[in-house]
Order: sequence, then C-alpha cells, then structure tokens
Amino acid sequence: MQIQSDTISAAKAVRANIMPQKQKRKPVSYAQLARSIHELAATSDQKNSQRQLVHHVFPKLAVYNSVDPSLAPSLLMLDQQCEDRTVLRYVYYYLARILSDSGSQGVSSGGGIPTPNWDALADIDAVGGVTRADVVPRIVDRLTSEALNEDIEFHARRLQALKALTYAPSSSPEISEKLYEIVFGILDKVADTPQKRKKGILGTKGGDKESTIRSNLQYAALSALRRLPLDPGNPAFLHRSVQGVSFADPVAVRYSLEILSDLATSDPYAVAMALGKHVQPGGALQDVLHMHDVLARVALARLCHSISRARSLDERPDIKAQFNSVLYQLLLDPSERVCFEAILCVLGKVDNAERTEERAAGWYRLTREILKLPEAPSAKDLNSESKDATPSKSSKDKSSKTRRPQPLIKLVMRRLESSFRSFSRPVLHAAARVVQEMGKSRAAAFALGLQDINEGAYVNTVPENNDSYDQDHNETSHPEGIRRVSSLSNATAAKDTIASLLASLMEVVRTTVACECVYVRAMVIKALIWMQSPHESFDELESIIASELSDPAWPAPLVNDILLTLHARFKATPDMAVTLLEIARIFATKVPGKIDADVLQLLWKTCLVGAGPDGKHTALEAVTIVLDLPPPQPGSMSGLTSVDSISASDPRSALALQRMVQAAVWFLGENANYAASEYAWESATPPGTALMMLDADKMVAAASSRNPTLSGALTRLQRCALNGSWEVRIIAAQALTTIAIRSGEPYRLQIYEFLHALAQGGVQSQFSDMHISNGEDQGASGTGLGSLISPMLKVLDEMYSAQDEIIKEMRNHDNAKKEWTDEELKKLYETHERLLDLVSLFCYVPRSKYLPLGPTSAKLIDVYRTRHNISASTGLSDPAVATGISDLMYETTNTKAAEPETIDDDLVNFWAANLGDDSLNNAPAINRVNEFLAGAGTDAPDVEENIISRPSMSYDDMWAKTLLESSEMEEDDGRSSGSSSPDSVGSVETSISSHFGGMNYPSLFSSKPSTYGPSQSKGKSGGSRYNNNSYSGSSYDGLGSPIREEPPPYSSPIRERYESFENPLAGSGSHSFGSHEEERVSSSNPQSGTALYDFTAGGDDELNLTAGEELEIEYEVDGWFYVKKKRPGRDGKMAGLVPVLYVNQS
Amino acid sequence: MLHWRSFLVRLGAENLRGVKNEELLVACHKSVYVVYTILGAISIYVVDKEEYDELVLSEVIYAITAIVRDVCGKPPSERLFLDKYGKICLSLDEIVSKGLLENTEKDRIKRLVRLKPPSEF
Repeated sequence: MQIQSDTISAAKAVRANIMPQKQKRKPVSYAQLARSIHELAATSDQKNSQRQLVHHVFPKLAVYNSVDPSLAPSLLMLDQQCEDRTVLRYVYYYLARILSDSGSQGVSSGGGIPTPNWDALADIDAVGGVTRADVVPRIVDRLTSEALNEDIEFHARRLQALKALTYAPSSSPEISEKLYEIVFGILDKVADTPQKRKKGILGTKGGDKESTIRSNLQYAALSALRRLPLDPGNPAFLHRSVQGVSFADPVAVRYSLEILSDLATSDPYAVAMALGKHVQPGGALQDVLHMHDVLARVALARLCHSISRARSLDERPDIKAQFNSVLYQLLLDPSERVCFEAILCVLGKVDNAERTEERAAGWYRLTREILKLPEAPSAKDLNSESKDATPSKSSKDKSSKTRRPQPLIKLVMRRLESSFRSFSRPVLHAAARVVQEMGKSRAAAFALGLQDINEGAYVNTVPENNDSYDQDHNETSHPEGIRRVSSLSNATAAKDTIASLLASLMEVVRTTVACECVYVRAMVIKALIWMQSPHESFDELESIIASELSDPAWPAPLVNDILLTLHARFKATPDMAVTLLEIARIFATKVPGKIDADVLQLLWKTCLVGAGPDGKHTALEAVTIVLDLPPPQPGSMSGLTSVDSISASDPRSALALQRMVQAAVWFLGENANYAASEYAWESATPPGTALMMLDADKMVAAASSRNPTLSGALTRLQRCALNGSWEVRIIAAQALTTIAIRSGEPYRLQIYEFLHALAQGGVQSQFSDMHISNGEDQGASGTGLGSLISPMLKVLDEMYSAQDEIIKEMRNHDNAKKEWTDEELKKLYETHERLLDLVSLFCYVPRSKYLPLGPTSAKLIDVYRTRHNISASTGLSDPAVATGISDLMYETTNTKAAEPETIDDDLVNFWAANLGDDSLNNAPAINRVNEFLAGAGTDAPDVEENIISRPSMSYDDMWAKTLLESSEMEEDDGRSSGSSSPDSVGSVETSISSHFGGMNYPSLFSSKPSTYGPSQSKGKSGGSRYNNNSYSGSSYDGLGSPIREEPPPYSSPIRERYESFENPLAGSGSHSFGSHEEERVSSSNPQSGTALYDFTAGGDDELNLTAGEELEIEYEVDGWFYVKKKRPGRDGKMAGLVPVLYVNQS
Repeated sequence: MLHWRSFLVRLGAENLRGVKNEELLVACHKSVYVVYTILGAISIYVVDKEEYDELVLSEVIYAITAIVRDVCGKPPSERLFLDKYGKICLSLDEIVSKGLLENTEKDRIKRLVRLKPPSEF
C-alpha cells in the first residue's frame, strides 16, 4: 500500500546552548547556496569545487524543504560532467527532490525541516522565471537515458537514476508510461534467467559478477515497479512480480510479495494460479519463510491470507490449504511483527473494512484449528543454506517442540504472553493491539452466535480426537469449575480450555497496565474493553479505568479514543449497553474536562436505545446517577480511584463537569419518557381522572407505583430544579416541561404543580413533605426561575383549560343529544392545532398522535380530519420555525448567531413512534465515531497551547542558523551575507486551543450538520431550514437554550471541512450508526424522489417543498439536492435547492 | 503538519528526559503510530500508519540510529549532527524512499550512499 504521508521526520533537538557563541556568524542564505552551485558546477572538474559542494553546499541545501527548479540546470550539468561519486549521489538526491516537489508543504522524505517561512523564503529567492514545467522534462530525459544505459561502468549510476526517476509525480501518464517501459525492459533482460536463490548474498563479496549485476538490476526494477500504480489486468505485471519472488535480492523479493499481495486482494485466483508451484514444499514462498527481511514475511502473510480466504478458489481447496499452511507457519516466526501479522490474518483482520462474518470465522479458526507442520522437506535446503539468519536457526531449535501438531490458540497465547513480558514499549503496544483485535473477532463470533464457541471446551492437541471433543462439550457446562481445575494444572497441556488460556493471557494483559507509557496503557484498556464478556463482572475493568483516569498524565485525545472504543464495543455487542454506560460514567465524573462531550452523549443515547426494553431503566440510571453524586470536594484525594466520586481538580474541569451535569439533566428530560415507555398519547387515563387526584400525596403514590422509572426521573429533576447552579436549574425546569408535555397523567399534573410552586417561590414549604426525604437543603425561597417558567406554565394552563372546555362541550352535546356541527368541530380542530403548535415550541411531539386536548378528543379530531381530508402527518407547519423559540421562551441575549440545527431524529423517533427511520445522522460526534469505527484518521492531534515553553528564539530559526552558518563560504561570497536568512519570521508553533474545552452542548438532539458547507450555513441562521418539519424536536433547545451562550461549538469551520473530507471513508465501515448514509450518494443522472416534509425556502436559490411532492433530483452539493418539481409550486418556482434530508430518494 | 510537529515536540519534551540512547518509546493517534527515541542530543521520531506499525517503525528507527551512529562515529551532539547533516539525509533517502521502507541494512545503505550498487561484484 502506498503510504501517503511521508515517513521520516528526523532530528529535532531542543538545546539552545550552542547558540550564544555562534550567533556572530552570519547564516548562509538559500540564494547564496544556489549561486554557489551554479558557480561550482562550472568548475566541477576541480577537486576544490567538488570539496566545496560535498562539504558545504549540498549539506546545507538539504535543510530547505523545497529545492527550486532553477537549480536543475546546474545539477544536470554536474550530472553530466562531474565524476565524483559523492557529488553525483547528491545530484541524484536533489534531482529526485525537484521531481517530487509537489509544491505543498510536507515532510520531505529526504529529511529537511519544512516550515512555512522557509518555503516562502525559497520562493522569494527562486531565481528568475525557471519553473518546474521547464526543467522536469529535461530531468526526466536525462534520467531516462541513464536508466537505460547498460554499460557496466555505469551500473551504480543507472540504479540511482532509476530510483530518482520514480520520484516523478505518478499523475503524469507520459512519465509513468516511460517508467513502465524502462522497468519491463530491464526485467525482460534480467528476470527470466532461472536462478537459485543465493542466501546471504548480501555482504558476501565475490559472487559471480554477472549474477550480482542481474540481482542489483532486479532490485532496482522491482523497487521502481512497486512505486508505480498497480496494473491488475496486465499479465506481464503479474508474471514479473511472481518471478520476483525467486530473486536473490531480499528487498526485491519483499517488493514482489507486496505487489502480489496487493494484486491478490482484487484477483486472488489469478495470483494463486501464477504462483503455482512456488507455494509447494521447497518452492520460493517456503524459502521466504526463512528470509531475513521482515516486511517480506509480512507481505507473505497477507498474500497467503488473501488467497486462502478467496471465494473464487473454492473449487481448489488444495491450493487454499497450501497457502493456509504457510500462513499458519508464520505464527512461529521469530519476528513479532510477522507473527502478529499472521495472527491478525487468522483473526480475519485484513483492512479496516472487514466484515463481521469474516471476523467471527477468524475467531473460530484461532480457537479450533491446528498447526501441522509439513514434513519438513526443506530440511536439507535449510542445512545447505546454513548462512541463513536467525529464523531458520530458531525454528530448528524449536523444531522438536513445534513439529508436533499444535492448536493455534495455544501457540498464539504463549507467544502473546511472552511478548507481554518484553521490555520494549512498541512490542507491548503491538501485543495489546493484537489482543484488542482478538477481542473484536471474539465479539463478532458471539454476536453471530457461532456454534461451537464454547470456551470451556478443551483445546485439542490432536485433531483426530473428535469424539472426546464432543465429550468435552458435555462436561463443560460449568466453565468456571473447569477453569479453576485447569489453571491448577496448567502444565498439563491437554487440560487447557480456551477460557483458561484466555484467563491466563488476560492476567498478563492486566499487569501491563502498570507500564509507564500511557499509550501502552491506553491500548491495554482498549484490549480489556474488547475482551470483556457481556455477562461477566466488569468490576475489575471498571476499577482499572477509574484509577487510570485519575492519572493526570492522560492526554485528552487518548481518553477520547477509549470513549470511542466504547462506541465500537457497543456496536459489536449491544448487550453491553448498560455495562458500557457504567464505564462511560467514569469518564464523565473523572475527566469531564478531557472528554469530547458530544461523543459521550452520543454514547449515552445509542446505549439507551440499544439497552432494549429491559435495560432502559438501568441505562437511564447509569447516565443520570451522576446527578446524585456528591460534588467534588476541593483538595480531597481520598476518592480518587473510587468510581462513585467526582473529580474536578481544576477550574476547567469543574466547568466541564458542570456542563456534563447540564447535559445529563437535559438527557434525562429528553429521554425519560422513552426509558419509562410513558407517553401522553398512549395513556388511556382521561384527564378528568387526573384532576381528581389533586391531593399531592395520592398523586405521587399513584405515579411511582405506575412507573418507577419516570417518577425516579422526576424526583431527580425536581431536585436539580431546586438546587444546583443556575444553569442546571434552568435546564431542569425545561426538562420537566418536556416530560410534562409528553407524559400522561398524573405526571403532567405533578409537574404542573411543581412548576407552579417553583415559579411562586417558597417551594419547600409546599413540597416539603415530598422532598424532605432527599435531605436537600433547598436554600432560600424563590428560585429566580419565575420568568423562565411562566411560559411553560402558560402552555400547560392552556392545555388544561382547553381540556376542561372540551369536556364541558362534550357533556353538553351528550346531554342535548346533539351531533357536533362542522363549525364546532372546526373550532375544536383549530384549538387542537394551535395547542399542538404551542407544544411543539417546547419539545418534539409526534403531531399525528399527540392530543393536547386529551385522549377523548381523538374521535372528534378524527371526524373533522376525515371530513376535510386533512392528513394527520402534515398538519400545519411548525411555528417554532417561523418565530424562533428564543423570542418566546427565554430572553436570550445570544451573541452568537444560532447555527442551523438538524434534529437527531434517531432517538426522538424511536421513542415517539418507533418509526425507526434513522437516516438523518449528521452529528459531528457521529462522524467522529464512524471515523473511529472505520479505523481512519490521520489528521494531526490537537496540541494544547503553551505546553512547551520555547526559548525566546524559535527552535527552527535556531536550527537553521546553526546549520546554515557560513564557514569558508562567507569569504567566498560576502555580498549578500545574511540578507535573506531565515530570520525569526515568527514562531511556527500554531496555538491551537483545546478542542475539548468547549462543548457543543445540546448536540444530543440538535447537531450541526457537518455536511453542510460552512459557507452555506452562514446567513441561514435562525435554523428555519432544518426545523420546518416533524423532526423539530429540539428547535427550542437548540436555539432558546441558554447553553447556546456557552463557548462556541468546538468544530471550527475549517475543522469541519476536514471532517467532511474524511467522512466518505468513515461512512463505509459503519452500519448501525449511519446505515442510510450511503443512500445519499450524489449522482449525475436525475433521480426521482419525494418530499418528506414541508420545507420553507430560506433564500432565492432554495425551493419550497410540500410533503409528498414528487421531485426529480438533479445533483447533490454539500448536503443539498438541486431538485425539479413536476409542476410549479404555489410560488411558481420549479427548481431549486432543498436539504438532502427532506427528500426521500426512490 | 504543524500540529504533528507540535504533537511530536510535546511528546519528546514530556517523555524523552532521562531516556537511554536508543530506548524506544511509542505513541499513537487515531490510526497513526509514532516511535521515537533519543540518540545523543538528537530526538528521532518515526511516524506512519497501516502496515508500518509500531514494530516496523522500530526497525526503521534502528536503521536510522545505526546510520547516525555510523556517520557521526558516536551518539552525536547537535553540532556533530549538523556537520553530518548532508550525509544523514542521503542515508535517510536510502532507508525510506517515496514513503516506502527501502533498506534497513547498514552496510547496504552505506554502499548506496557512496553511489555503489547494493551488492558489489
């Protein structure tokens, strides 16, 4: 796989002590260097010039990131005229850099320090008008002719010329064409000669000259071929790559295997056929097992994996078995890298887009299959190739032990355990990563309910032993007992069960958490999360995480990575929802300042939905129990590692904790009805009944007996509304209103009473009997919430009085035995609609079902609707859109323009109507989760500012000056000394404020759609675009909530743009979170669709929609469809932009 | 890019103090691995992803420290490292080229830097 990011960034030193005495000397400018090259190139035959170039000019030039094209003529002149090998080596180096120069920043692979100021400098200095376009063809021509030069004297230069040529941008088809020609030209001459691989050819002098030259050319050719784009259909490409497997040069073999393993991912059949006998005992692939090159063996593992799993080779089980056998042998490889790769291949981890079935099968293979080594026909080869390095030796040492057939699981466990005893941090990190992948495959196996994954089963040593195998199954109905026995008798291998092997491995893994390196510990915790079984106690894991998070050394990105791992774990095993929520709670309480609140809240939400009917109550508890915990005690260290205490040691995390509490309160209000399965529109209790229960005692008793979950939530919210910070009280009142609107009686009345009292103040006297049990000090009378609460009370008032009204009317009609006239019905319906509109300002309710006038009104409303052919689902458009709830609800002084909001419909719908249409996931948190699940993400970490106290001079300048100091050069050329040296143009350190400081708080139900380009979001403030539909649940919360006054959402427009670039990657790997995303592919052919909701155009280019309208989708841009209607709408417009989410593609 | 720089510099500042020459430290961010170490006054970071995982990067960093030691003759001071900077760049060019790991063997790298073929005749 082509690595996009260049690899090496070397040499950073932060010592300033060289600086003082050196500062007198003037640094050499780029212009000076360039001039020197021109001058010295003219006199390159002189020793002195060569010395200057090698010792002064070229090394200093290396500092500059870009080498400007104006140097090319001089370099080419040197290339032609100079004989000095060192000069020439530099010339090839710089020619390659000119060829590869993409003009953008980036670490140059050859070293050098890229800084923007230097690049700018190089541009300034670029001497008059020579561009890359001018020189690249000349360089390519020159290098091409050299790469074709067969003169033996020219051999080494030929190799370097070909290498330099590969740096040419692959985007140019002519150059690629040329390179293919050269490479295949060389291979035509040197690849066909049948040859026996000569082991240890490296470093041995005096191999016969011809074969050495051939081997060198093979290496150079394959090295170039590897850097060219794959050519899958080309038989010559495949043929030469297969030949490469038998080449003498180990790097050439590596490249050919890498090419083959890449080819095998798309066409395993062809590759397997082409490899033919190479895989058989004594064949070239078997030899690779003993080759010294680690990456060659890694590529071999991947190749074997692709072929042995290929569906297209189902007809040839023999071939698959051969490759499989090679793969299994690599499990014994002395190199950890190779062994781990083989384990990952066995586990079914190939790339990041793996399927659950493949993973599950991987776990099955690992736990069930046996490694039988072939009858060592290569033994004599091994002897004859005694020069071979460690691999063969060590495998021979072990041979007596490893020749026996062995279950893979035992080999792997033993190997991992020994890796965990390593002192090398990279090895520990990698081993933990492998365990994590094991956990993923195991979770997949359990998720699919694979037969035969009973981990109490004994691990067989002899595969034929199938009878006793079955017996084992029967015996192991008590895995715990077995485990205890077998761990005692660990030495007697035959008694091992998978469970016991795993238990012993996990013991070692857990001890690794003591590693100094926080990254290793993070990986270990991820591994533990993945290896956690849903049905086992997670106390140990919980306490490990709690004590780990108390360590302030943990960087925020790493903490969030673990949080994302919880998401991934949930996705793999929804059964673990409650467990994962409990773990997530530790993050909320321990490191509130470090975690990405969006991601945490998304986890709450998804886990709540995933917990299912039985787990909902527990899940809600797990989230909101944080509200019951005592606040952090300043200076107290006692509870640091306890799960049930809150840590907020500094003001920042205290602030974050407060937001977390707000979020939890919000969450509780928004989801209590879902968790409690209590909906006004499903309640059969007529409002009149509830009005009878005005006695508070009776009401509470009735409420809690009917639905403990909801009344528990109410108690919590009421307490929050009474004490806690101002911000928390506000949200608690809002949350209570939400519940009041959504719940039937007696909850609504209970809340109404409470709010009423809250608005008046002096709650404690009225409600003391209700709340005294909480032991809360409710403070002085009056909560300061009056002005906020009164509109809430007003809506409830209106509902109640309208209900009274309708009851009265109905009684009148009944008494008079009169039918309802159309006029009366109309009035009733209008009241119904008006109240619906009003209610919708406060929270989302399903318009088609919600009955603000109470259940008894259902029949009459229905009559009127039927008579007038009104569809229940469309109704009137939601006034929250038009008016903006903030004006009505809360005297907000929002300085920030409200962002357009889209509603996370997922849960809303889920609780509302079980519509299950969750196609509208747009939250940035979801993107982050999806990106994580897809294993993508190479964007740079966020580095908090002011971490490194820099010396007053910026580090780069110091580096530059030290290096570029002129020595003799100065005497040679004093004219422009220092004129354009890279002086302190400015520190290159960008200060990035922590992304995790600010919370995009109400994201849970109202997240900014990241697919909408920033430019479009501007000027659309007010959110009308997104709220004019039945998903408008949180319009109120998004716009009117005081939380909007909090720091702005942390995604800056720029960052968002990055994320939307990454998302195509992320989307593909995820199914449950963004499963419908792929439906929204943009396409150039018109597609038909229907409008899902009413949409009010917010600009000239936009189009009004009425739900149900048929549309033709022309194209998609940034989350918008350009659509055409079949006939003009009321406004006469035919075509325009509408949000993607409003259209159902058919 | 500059974020990565800051990230690496910070990693080094926090972790490299008191670390023995060539002792390998590890870090990762999302799908990217970082292996880093110190040699004399020089901190060396190797960063990549996918199959170039922490273990391969360890191999790469061994190759780098080997050639730096070789070129400088000892664990270099910053001064010494800068004096040899050109040759070090050429060696790096043989270790990694166009983002792919090329050579890891010291002798072979040395030959290639001197414009000799990888295997001599």
